[in-house]
Amino acid sequence: MRNRYACSIAALLGLAALSTVVFAQGGRGGGITAHNKANDNKAYDKHDLSGIWSRNGTPGGYGGGGTCRDCGDRGFSNDVPPFTPLGQKMFDANKPSYGRNLGSADANAHPEEAIGRRRAVPPANGTDPYQYCNPMGPTRALIYPDPMEMNVLPDKIMQQFEWGYAVRTIWTDGRKPLMDPDQQRWWGYSTGHWDGDTLAVITTGVDERTWVDHFGYPHSVDMILEERYRRTAYDVLELSMTITDPKIYTRPWVSETKKFRKLETKMGIKTVDGWGGLMEDVCAPADEVDNFNKRVRDPAGGVVH
Amino acid sequence: MKIKLLGLIVSSVTLLLVSIPAFAHHGTGVSYDQSKSYTIAGTVTITEFRYANPHPQLYFDVKDKDGKVTHWSGEIAPNAAQLQQIGWGKKRSEAALAPGTEVTLTIAPSRAGTPVGLINKIVNAKGEDVLGLGGNAFGPVPGEAEKGKQTKQ
Repeated sequence: MRNRYACSIAALLGLAALSTVVFAQGGRGGGITAHNKANDNKAYDKHDLSGIWSRNGTPGGYGGGGTCRDCGDRGFSNDVPPFTPLGQKMFDANKPSYGRNLGSADANAHPEEAIGRRRAVPPANGTDPYQYCNPMGPTRALIYPDPMEMNVLPDKIMQQFEWGYAVRTIWTDGRKPLMDPDQQRWWGYSTGHWDGDTLAVITTGVDERTWVDHFGYPHSVDMILEERYRRTAYDVLELSMTITDPKIYTRPWVSETKKFRKLETKMGIKTVDGWGGLMEDVCAPADEVDNFNKRVRDPAGGVVH
Repeated sequence: MKIKLLGLIVSSVTLLLVSIPAFAHHGTGVSYDQSKSYTIAGTVTITEFRYANPHPQLYFDVKDKDGKVTHWSGEIAPNAAQLQQIGWGKKRSEAALAPGTEVTLTIAPSRAGTPVGLINKIVNAKGEDVLGLGGNAFGPVPGEAEKGKQTKQ
């Protein structure tokens, strides 16, 4: 009998440990699995993407730091194309703090995962540009599982991300994509048009100091990012992305499908005062760089100022 | 016997689940060792609490048996936006963790061996859970705090 209990405990602990690892990676594939059946009969316009959307399926759709069971993959895709020599050099220079710990038994036990997911170092020893509140850039912001609001205007879509409280503009006024722009920008230059029931967005000129995702994958300023949004139910939005960047990757890189759930502001995000809407989740250097990094992040990583 | 074993299973699974290094804003989860989480009681005095991004911070003094005081820095996993969602606004949090307050802390220490830790649980002198961590550094699921569920990952 004792052995049976011992086996049960071991099995459960093993399962929990496995879950821990999976959750630490944000899980792969999957994401929000289904729409809410209560919304089955609600009418919606497939061309109306307005509202607050989140990849976080927890009640309220809010992760508060991107933590949730069912956010799906937190990387662009595990199926990474081979790098060019320049791409490899840039990848090696980026030292992320997400994924499995570099050199750990856990990392070594998962050779099926791309190396980008198995090389986390304490942020005190890393090179993540967001550690210093630099803008994330479009792919990383879209992948991060905190709410995102689409404000649809006649000539553009303003996409606002709760994390960082950042805004990017997707122009839908008919202008052509800006190829070879004079100046690269943190969020690049984006144009969008409808291709049937899919909103197709082309982005160019993204500052190459941004990372593709949390795992430190690089891109060049010549990257062409295509996003394809499809509203597949009243409360479900799907996004697939393709990066074409021959300076860095030897073939186009296609993301896994990212699923978002529509949030009802009144029922979803709100402060203790009942103030609904996106939270002001700003990365302010006065808080994060001058205080947190120096007083907590760095000493936690063994770097004492 | 069965009940004790069930309790052990539940608490063990819970412990493992809360060890998820999901520090999304700054990726500091990698800096702490959850397998060495422990509780400090009776010797912890808060010196400062910051309700700020990327994660709220608790600074506190720990006195050892010889009376020597060590100053610690602690990180709390739910960020301010998430604490707002579960009813722990800034004013309430700061009042509960005012300088001079004595608390019992459960922390996962830094892997570097420095006096820095991830705070998994805060209990005040009345035995009340503070910030809704309840042994889960990621806090309860928004909207379910009132039900006493603390399963946020």
